[in-house]
Order: sequence, then structure tokens, then C-alpha cells
Amino acid sequence: MGVALRQTEDQLTANMLAATAAQINCVNGSNGDNPTELTLADVNNVTQTLLGNNAKMFLSSIEGENKFGTAPVRNAYFALCHTDMTSQLQNVDTFIQQSQYPNQQRVLDSEWGAVGNLRFLVSSIGYIEQNASALNANVYDIFCVAQEAYACIDQDGASTQFIYRPAVYSGPLALNVTVGYKFAEVPRILNDAWVLNLRATLA
Amino acid sequence: MAIIQSGSFTANGSAQVIRIRSDFDMIRVLNFNAGAQATDDLGYEFYFQRGMTNGRGMLYTKLGNTEANNTVTFGEIAANAGFTILDTSGSPLAALNAVGGANEITAISNAAIPVATNSGANGLVAGDVVRLYTVTNAGQLNGFDFTVGYNTLSGTTFSLDYMSQLAVAGTTAAWRKIKWDPIYYPRHRYITSITSSGSSSVIKLSVTHGYKVGQLVRVLVPAIYDMVEMDNLVGTITAIDTTPTSGNTITVDIDSSSFTAFAFPSAADYAAAGSAFSKAMVVPIGMDTAEALSASVNELSDATFNDGFIGVSLAAGTLSPAGQNNDVIYYEAIKNDITVNP
Repeated sequence: MGVALRQTEDQLTANMLAATAAQINCVNGSNGDNPTELTLADVNNVTQTLLGNNAKMFLSSIEGENKFGTAPVRNAYFALCHTDMTSQLQNVDTFIQQSQYPNQQRVLDSEWGAVGNLRFLVSSIGYIEQNASALNANVYDIFCVAQEAYACIDQDGASTQFIYRPAVYSGPLALNVTVGYKFAEVPRILNDAWVLNLRATLA
Repeated sequence: MAIIQSGSFTANGSAQVIRIRSDFDMIRVLNFNAGAQATDDLGYEFYFQRGMTNGRGMLYTKLGNTEANNTVTFGEIAANAGFTILDTSGSPLAALNAVGGANEITAISNAAIPVATNSGANGLVAGDVVRLYTVTNAGQLNGFDFTVGYNTLSGTTFSLDYMSQLAVAGTTAAWRKIKWDPIYYPRHRYITSITSSGSSSVIKLSVTHGYKVGQLVRVLVPAIYDMVEMDNLVGTITAIDTTPTSGNTITVDIDSSSFTAFAFPSAADYAAAGSAFSKAMVVPIGMDTAEALSASVNELSDATFNDGFIGVSLAAGTLSPAGQNNDVIYYEAIKNDITVNP
């Protein structure tokens, strides 16, 4: 039930970002679609835009260490996307898999890796625009967010409640137990210049 | 069985959406005017139950032109002319009408308001939203959504009401209907034209915008649209035009008189860009309270809210549950304790 609650919150937030946030299409790929697949140039374009809007990065850099197969990681914004993007990310120039980070203590659970100044967090409920590309393919929304770009605001007196009802409440024969949750919350973009929806298709 | 919601409305000649607070199993509709007046062949009572074909249902039709002793017939409502279940938590996409298929687009004209011609029967109503794909000779339209049908609408034609004139007509294309908007308001919208108007700019949007006077918007204009001076500027909406046939514009307090003229990408631009570009768009970012109050607009009307719902759409027409203009319609939605369908 706890997983369902948090996934519901995430889905509602993703729906809001998809409906409201500014969009940039990936245009530097070669799959002939619009948007194209994700490339380093598209990542750099988003980073440049957010930096130009004075957006503050979430994560500080991870310094290189004397470990084979690792690479330093730049300070970064979050990039939130669907798990379908994982294979695509592997093919992006300069992609650093999270297992290659020199220091594993600062890796987030859902983190897949980094490209430039974006660190990608993946989820199975990442947002997909069904059949939204020029060639009728799915478009994957990568929400590139900086600090204080958006917030989830709980309504006063309506924070999340887990409600358990023993069988005695279900009727005269006490046949059913119920458990559920309810909450009143709204996601809202706080500064539209600090969040960008980078749209991509698969190669 | 419990009646979970009932009510009435006065028809306006267009399809009517009824939001039902929880899922329903059956719905009954009574057209008071059709039942009371002495006119031939009017549907007066309609019924839909889960398990019936979505978009249809059953109806009683009153024949003859006298109220007393009218002969009544009972039958199935025509396809797409009845009850359509809506649930915005699901996919908003209708089936694809592919190139080479029964309802493909065969031409998109270069008239002042482009008109798409399709084979088969499109089943659209004025105000529907359509997404285009793989448009031959006009690839810049690929992936765009357009409100359709207010200017031209038949079974084989529909106008792209808010699209600017194409220099080169399109030929074949695939398309599908988009059944509802994204559930969160306010929504960003794509731009089809920007024209200077004194110290203001008039922006036309491809889909019915839903914006209000007083809202603050950021205008994003990629270089392919030429008016680069407008990119990333923030303006206040000082006027809106919601005329279905020719409007769908917002006027913002941005002086674009010295800017490079806005130009929707041409087919040549699309090809030169490698068939990929970001769309010019308007992003809602807040509310100018003073402007809103001066226009008697609720200053909180730009608040983020979840507009998702479950309900039913009633088609309009003499043999449809939403009736004709000015008909008074009564309905009741019913939820069963147990429903068993094969």
C-alpha cells in the first residue's frame, strides 16, 4: 500500500509536469523522427538552457579516485525518465554508468547513470506520451529539474492517512477487512525556467 | 442498485459530457422536449448499460406527429451517436487511421484554413482534437494536435481550424483523434501564428487554449519559426478570443512590432532541420492579479488543478441522448451492487 501511495503521487506529479512544463525536443539524433533519440548534444542544450536561467543544480560533483574503470561525475541536475530509456542511455556519448562512479556512497537508489550535467533517475512509471512523435512512436519525457523547480503541496489537515478497518466494521457477519489511503496534494511548478521536459524517442 | 447521480441540462446542439462522481453501470436519459412536443421521429428516452457497445446504447423513438397514441419504436442507437464512457485515467488516444487504411487522409489543402480530406468516414464532431502523422509534402505538421471541424466538417473532410495556411498542400497522412486534454490545468499549448498588434502580440494556438485574461505566459519560439526575439519572453494575457471558427487567440502585452515576422515552418524548413525541431509554445507560469481583477477574472483561476474525471459523453442529435439545441434533458446514473457480464 505504501508503494502504491508513492507511485500515485509520482504519477500525478509526472502528469502535471507533462501538461505544463516547457518542452525541448531532442533534435540531434539520427532516427528520422521528431523528436529524435537522445544525444550528448541534446543534454548539453538542456544544461545550457537551465544554467542560463540560473537554475541551481541538485547534486555536487563526485571527484575522481584512483580506481580502474571509474570516472569523475559532474555536478548535476536531475533527469527523471522511464526505465525504457536505460538501453538508450547506454549509447549516449560520455554516459557514465552509476557502477562506474568513483564513490558509491552518494548514488541514489533509482539512479542509472550520468551524461554531462544530468544524472538520470529511472522509474517504471516514468512518463510516456503514447504515439506522440512525428512517426507515431512513443515519446519519452525526461524531466530535467533544478532545485525548487516544483513542489508537492499538502492540503492543510489532509495529509496522507492510512485507514485500516477491521472486519467488524464491514457488516453483521464481519466478513471483510479493508485497508486504503487518502491524501489531498497538488504538484505545482514553482519556477518554469528551472524545469524542462526533454522529449526523446528510441533509436 | 443505487442512483448515484441525477440531474438535468439544457442542450446546446453539441455533445454533452456528464461527470459522474464514481463509476456507473447504467444510465438513463429522458429528452423532455422530444417527449412533449408533436414532431415526427424524435428520440425521447435513451438507455446504456455496461456491456453494450461504447458509443451506442438503446433508444425509444416517437413516430408520428401527435402526442397521444404515438407509435413508438425501440432500437439501437447508431454508431458513435449514443453514450461514450470516458475515463481520463486511461489513454486519450483513439485508434490510428493509418496511411493506406480505410480512413486515411488523402489531402490537406493549402487554403487559408487548411482542410483535410479523408477516405471512409471520420466520425468527428466540431471541436474534436486530431493528431497528424507522416504527412507527405507537409511533414512540419507531424505530431501536431489540432482542433478541427468548426469551419469545415463532413464525413470526409475536416478543417484544421487554427492552423496557418500551407504553402504546399499535403497529400497522404495518418491521423487519430485525441479524446481529452492532459488532466492537469493550466496546460501548455503550441503556437501556429504570432502577429503584432500595436504594442501587443496576438498568438494563435493549435488547440482550444482555455486560458484566461490575467494569466502570465512564457513564449518559447525556436529559431526555425524566425521570430527569435520573442523566445523566452513573459507576457500577461490582456485579451482572449474564443470564437470557434476564427479565434482561439491570446493577446499578450509584448511589443513584437520590431521583431522578425513569425513563420510556421515550411516543408523545406522541416527537411533542412533534419525532420526534427522543437515546437513554438506558450507555457502558463502564473497570474497577474491586477490584470485579472480588472477583467473580473478570478485571480486564483490559474491554480493547478487535476481535471481528471470519469463520466460519459452524450452525443447530440434528434436520435441521440443530448438532443437538439434548447432541449431539456434529464438523466440518472445508476450503480449496481453486482454486475455480471460475460
